[in-house]
Amino acid sequence: MVLRVTTLDQLFASRIATVVPDAIGPALAAEVRARLDRAGYARHALLDRGSYDVALDPDEPALAGALAGLAGKLTGRSLVLADARALRLGPGDYVLAHHDRSHDEPLVELMLDLSPASVPGADVHYRRHGRVVFQVVSRPGALSIVERGPETACHHAYISKRHLGACVVRLVLRLRDA
Amino acid sequence: MWRLGPDWSDERGLAAAWRAAQPFSHLVFDEFVSDTALPALLAVLEDEPVERCETDLFAFEASAPEPTTAAFRALRTSFAVALAPALSRITGKTVARADMRAYAYRVGHYLLPHSDNQLGHERALAFAYYLPSPAPPDGGELELFRCPVERGEIIATESARLIEPRPNRLVVFDVSDVSLHQVREVVGGLRISLAGWFYA
Repeated sequence: MVLRVTTLDQLFASRIATVVPDAIGPALAAEVRARLDRAGYARHALLDRGSYDVALDPDEPALAGALAGLAGKLTGRSLVLADARALRLGPGDYVLAHHDRSHDEPLVELMLDLSPASVPGADVHYRRHGRVVFQVVSRPGALSIVERGPETACHHAYISKRHLGACVVRLVLRLRDA
Repeated sequence: MWRLGPDWSDERGLAAAWRAAQPFSHLVFDEFVSDTALPALLAVLEDEPVERCETDLFAFEASAPEPTTAAFRALRTSFAVALAPALSRITGKTVARADMRAYAYRVGHYLLPHSDNQLGHERALAFAYYLPSPAPPDGGELELFRCPVERGEIIATESARLIEPRPNRLVVFDVSDVSLHQVREVVGGLRISLAGWFYA
């Protein structure tokens, strides 16, 4: 795991919004993807909220522990895992902002891009009051670390049907203070 | 400009069709504007600027909510004047005014599933009128969903009707909590429309 931070505290005032590129190599990402596939996804198809595959509480304790440790170093906080899920999106899939799970306390959200290849436009946007304040572009192996409060909403942008065979896999971890 | 042709003469039949339509009330009218009036309509739109609009829900180009030209404002008013009385009788919803924007969906543009029912907006009926395109669109269908509800919550969303964006076609549909619809992604060509809502 490479700890190379390229973007810090963008537009989040005192909060951290960071992308760590190459946080995970392609071989390990492929292993994790394969394990997630074997464990299985469930299809979310309430289309007024989102269209995607989801695996709740994926059994990846070592990876989650390493990522939580990295987030703790970057934020200077002692963090523990609040919840985890893996999302898989293909052409025509999306997650709308109003489907983003609300939370009252500040937390740190990690998103590890496990995708086999970059998909144009398959970005994650963090919004406050409707305005995009942080954008995470599709980049396999990258990890985004975002300190977010209850006023921040997140959505996964629509993936164009023109990208036949596109597959976006994201491991999403939410951390809270220990 | 706006032609309420023979299709509109049987209001009792249209009212029955409106009530029976699935998954929710809607009507489709083809050849809505006369061939002779169409050039003038297109000329009005030539002068109305559009700009790219994008959120988590949509990506398209649209004119401003309030038209910038007097000609487009007049077009909007004449549309409401021509249709509101008949639609009030047909749908049972009393409507008087309408807003209207011009939309251009290019390749990759879409409008994801949503209902138009928003607190404070008082939208009663939605409409879309498809214009002839120099490059007829591939995709861009209006898709209507059936949404079973339990205890006030939508528990499923099932595709129930696809309406092609044929030139000179007008679609009118109900606005409610379960009038879920989308514009499918345009994967080729250009989809041009006028769309908006009727208000009480």
